Amino acid sequence: MTIDVAPVKPEPGKQPNDRPPAGSGEPLLSLRGINKHFGAVQALTEVDLDIPAGAVTALAGDNGAGKSVLIKCIAGIHSPDNGQVLWMGQPVHVRTPRDASALGIETVHQDLALCDNLDIVQNMFLGRERTSHFMLQEEDMEKSAGATLKSLAVTTVRSIRQPVASLSGGQRQSVAIAKAVLWNSKLVIMDEPTAALGVAQTTMVLELVRRLADRGLAVLLVSHNMNDVFQVADRVAVLRLGRMVAVRPTAEMDRQIVVDLMTTGASSRARPAQEPQAGEA
Amino acid sequence: MSTAPAPHSAPPAPPGAATARVRRAERLLRAREIGIGLAIVMVFGLTYFKNHAFGSSLSIQQLLNGAAIIALLGVGETLVIITRNVDLSVGSVLGLSAYLVGDLFVHHPHTPVIMGFALGIGIGLLIGAINGLITTVTRVPSLVVTLAALYIVRGVDAKIVAGKQIDPTSIPRAFQALGYQTVLGVPWLALMVAAIVAIAGYAMRSFRSSRDLYAIGSNPEAAALAGVPAGKRVFTAFLISGALAGLGGALFVSEFATVNSTAGSGYELLVVAAVVVGGVAIYGGSGTVLGAALGALLLNTINQALVAAKVSSFWNQAVAGALLLGAIAFDRWLGQRVAKMQSTRGERRVI
Repeated sequence: MTIDVAPVKPEPGKQPNDRPPAGSGEPLLSLRGINKHFGAVQALTEVDLDIPAGAVTALAGDNGAGKSVLIKCIAGIHSPDNGQVLWMGQPVHVRTPRDASALGIETVHQDLALCDNLDIVQNMFLGRERTSHFMLQEEDMEKSAGATLKSLAVTTVRSIRQPVASLSGGQRQSVAIAKAVLWNSKLVIMDEPTAALGVAQTTMVLELVRRLADRGLAVLLVSHNMNDVFQVADRVAVLRLGRMVAVRPTAEMDRQIVVDLMTTGASSRARPAQEPQAGEA
Repeated sequence: MSTAPAPHSAPPAPPGAATARVRRAERLLRAREIGIGLAIVMVFGLTYFKNHAFGSSLSIQQLLNGAAIIALLGVGETLVIITRNVDLSVGSVLGLSAYLVGDLFVHHPHTPVIMGFALGIGIGLLIGAINGLITTVTRVPSLVVTLAALYIVRGVDAKIVAGKQIDPTSIPRAFQALGYQTVLGVPWLALMVAAIVAIAGYAMRSFRSSRDLYAIGSNPEAAALAGVPAGKRVFTAFLISGALAGLGGALFVSEFATVNSTAGSGYELLVVAAVVVGGVAIYGGSGTVLGAALGALLLNTINQALVAAKVSSFWNQAVAGALLLGAIAFDRWLGQRVAKMQSTRGERRVI
């Protein structure tokens, strides 16, 4: 495991408490001046972001704004070119998904990183199976998986030993989220968790997202579905062309402001509900 | 919308129900093996009814021995196919290994028996390692890599053999004994393969690294994100497949004691056929080594049954092909049925 928890150097200008987040509590994860480029393409430019515990932070942005790159930098799939990642105030280097897991960062990927042929328990423990004397501890894993699903009130699956291929989209997403929670994670990153779901299943998944935050976890929700963002998020961070253009509490935003920020990087509307809600259905 | 889930009110499942469900799921998984077992019994019964000689102990020994080497190669092939790869070089590896093992005994008649096996396994390991390395490093599809290996190894074999032949007189009796001696009526060869199938089957259920094989074949991206070392696992699968093919070469010598340059040619397709009939999905991610071994036994039983029933040998391969097609069609049909059944039942309470 290659987590460098370097000794904390007092850096007056870089303390996470310097700029309290608009949401609640001290930030669990702080990004400071993150840059990332791929060849000639500057994907992220000087991105700052605080992610507090116990709140849902939505990350909005148009296609190509750098949402995926940013979460991949946090999840250890990409390494930022420079900039600082602070985890509970400590500078850390997250180089691989394993490093991220060791810190307590889990990602629910958009393409549902589940194996169809494996059952729910096998999927939840994939890559981190419990063993004793090189033998898989199936019953032990089954108990933990069942307990986690139950604690998240995911009780709609018939058997936790059924292959994931037989689950509905909402159930699969629930399993993917439960998989992220199983590991005593502190930060759960979700990439478009409702993208492929119907209305009722979306409600179910959003309720689950809310429940995670209520349990004290930090949630970073990537979405360009404004309904999802305003239904579940406490704070909205808007990326545009690789730059963070705004991070504000949801209460200070409305759809039109977010859309303005996403498309032009600024909004003439300071507060919601001052003009007729043009952008809403 | 009145369909919002009310999961809190769902009663917790009693502890006994969970284990019962596990058992039911396991039974479902095993159904395929049971089905093949029944097919073997049926084919055997029908043929015995027509020709009683089919039930003689000698005939049964033939059935077991005839399937043994294919089943052995099937174990390795199963591991490879589960990872969504294929190893087509096993027949050639078997041929080369068989000749070199025979050649060892020709030149050094007093070599211990164990050295023959060690040489065979060593040759297999070498070629398996090359296959695995090229597949995992260059990412060339294993179909292409092992097809090339099939021809290259066969070519090397032809060059080494150079028209010669290993005769039974040059093979030590102790080495040949494995091929014909029996324990309680069961040939040593079949016992050995059965032991390997049992060990491999147990390992595939109980080890973490074997779970990785299924994950790699099921969803390579998910496996990579979960930190599964795919390259290492696929390489190991090829290594084991090669080693078993090499061991198969040594067993070929002890069973037939005659080796020429055609030994093992065409085996790769027999092996793939047996594995697929045995319920290993050709697109990876599912199947068991026990199923593959039973598939080999079923194909051999049908083959022998057609002979015993005095059906023209032209029909042999046609029947094997039809069976292969039937097995795949059945697999897909069953898979869809099960998925449908489970999702409708699962969702009744959901949304």
